Amino acid sequence: MKIKLIRTGGFIPITKEAEADVNLSDKQVKQLLEIIQPDRIASPIKDGHYYLLDIGTKSTLVDLEKVPDEYKSIFNKLKSDLKFIK
Amino acid sequence: MCRNHLNPIHCIIPPYMLTRLMESGNKKIADLAINSNFRSFRFRNDRIFFQQSSLHEKTILGLISKDTGKDIMHMEVYDCRQKTDFINVTLLWDTKTNQKLTSVAGKNVIKGGKASWDFYWQLFGRNSIDNKGLLIKQYVHFDKGMDNAYWDGRRMVYGDGDGTVFTSFTSDIDVIGHELTHGVTENEANLDYENQAGALNESFSDIFGIMIKQRFNNQDVKKSNWLIGEKVMIGPKYALRSLKAPGTAYINHPELGSDPQPATMDKYQNQPDTESGDFGGVHINSGIPNFAFYVTAFNMGGYAWEKAGRIWYAVLTDASLAQDAKFIDVKNLTIVHAEKTYGINSLEVKAVKQGWSEAKV
Repeated sequence: MKIKLIRTGGFIPITKEAEADVNLSDKQVKQLLEIIQPDRIASPIKDGHYYLLDIGTKSTLVDLEKVPDEYKSIFNKLKSDLKFIK
Repeated sequence: MCRNHLNPIHCIIPPYMLTRLMESGNKKIADLAINSNFRSFRFRNDRIFFQQSSLHEKTILGLISKDTGKDIMHMEVYDCRQKTDFINVTLLWDTKTNQKLTSVAGKNVIKGGKASWDFYWQLFGRNSIDNKGLLIKQYVHFDKGMDNAYWDGRRMVYGDGDGTVFTSFTSDIDVIGHELTHGVTENEANLDYENQAGALNESFSDIFGIMIKQRFNNQDVKKSNWLIGEKVMIGPKYALRSLKAPGTAYINHPELGSDPQPATMDKYQNQPDTESGDFGGVHINSGIPNFAFYVTAFNMGGYAWEKAGRIWYAVLTDASLAQDAKFIDVKNLTIVHAEKTYGINSLEVKAVKQGWSEAKV
C-alpha cells in the first residue's frame, strides 16, 4: 500500500511530502497509528513542525519520535525524501 | 488557554467551543468546561491584579525574585548533534563558565541571545523571558538538516537547514529574537496560537525580532530593509518575511513559490484552524499587523524601538490584552498607549492610526 508523510508548519508555512510503498496489513497499520499518536499538548509549539500520515483517504497526525524500531527505516527514508510542495 | 496543568480541556479548546461544552447534556463534560472557564476567569483577574499591584505589594506576595533589578543574563547552549531529543545533548556554553567554542551555530545563538536579552533589559527593564531572570536555553544542530527554528515553551531550538533552500536557522539575529519573544508573549498576554490571536502572537515575535536586529546593527527605520531571515534563506533575493512589504520576501522561488503574506485586512486569508492550515494562517496573516507596525515606525522616524517599539511593548504587557485578542483590539490598545505616552493630538498618535489605516484594520 502507498503511504504519504506530510510535514506542515514551521517558521514559514511550507509543506513537504514524501511517498513510499509498504507491505503492511490493516491490523499493522491500525496498531502503528495507535502507537505513534501524538500526546495532547497544552498549546501548539510556536513555529513547530507537524507530521501527518496519509493512508488511503485517511490523514492522521503522528509523532515520529514514537515510531517503533521495526518501522524506523521506513520513516527515516520518508523523512529524508520529503520534497517541498508549492 | 493556561499552562502547566494536566486537564486538556483547559488548554486546547477555544472559547467558542468552551461555551458550547458548558451547555453540554453530558454532566462530566459540562462540569469540566465550567471549571475550565472559572479557572480562566481567575487567571485573567490574577493577571490584572498583579499587573496593577505596587512593588511593595509584589514583594509582600513573594513575586519579586532575588535577581530582579540585577543586570545578569543566564544562558546555556546545547549541541543536539543532529539528534531529535534533549537528553543526549552536549553543553557547549554557559554564562557561568563562558567556555571558548568553535561552533558557528553556538556563537550565533550566544550573540543573538545576548542581543535579545540586552534589548528587553536595557529598553524595558525586563529581566529575561519571564521578567524574573529565567535561564535562556538554546539548542543547536537539532535533527538532520531541519529547516526550522521553534520555541517549545521551555527552550529555543534551531536546525542546520537543508543546505539548498535554507542554511542554519541560527544565521539571523531576528530569528533568534523572534523565538525568544514567543517566550515573552507566553509570559505576558499568552496569546492563543490560532486565527487572529495566533497571527498577533507571530507578529509580536516578528516585530521584536526585527527591532532586536536593527538595534544590534544600529539601523534606523530608513536604513533597515525590514527583512526577517535574509541569511537563513539561501539566495540574495530571498528572505523569510518582509515587514515593509509583506508578500514579497520571496517571489517565484524555484522550490517555495511566492511569499503568501497579505499586508492588508481585505486580503486576510481564512485558513482552517488545523496543523495543516497553520492554525488559521498564523504565519500568513501576521503580515497585516506587521505592516501596521512598519508604517507606524517609519512615519515616526528614528529608531523603531524608541517610540513605536515602546508602544507595542506596552500593549504586549497590558493585562487587558485578551488571550483571544483580534487585530482591532491591538489597534485600539496601541492608540490608547500612544495617547497616554505622547498626548491625544500628538504626531505619534497620528502615526499609529495611520499605520493601522494603511493595513486596513
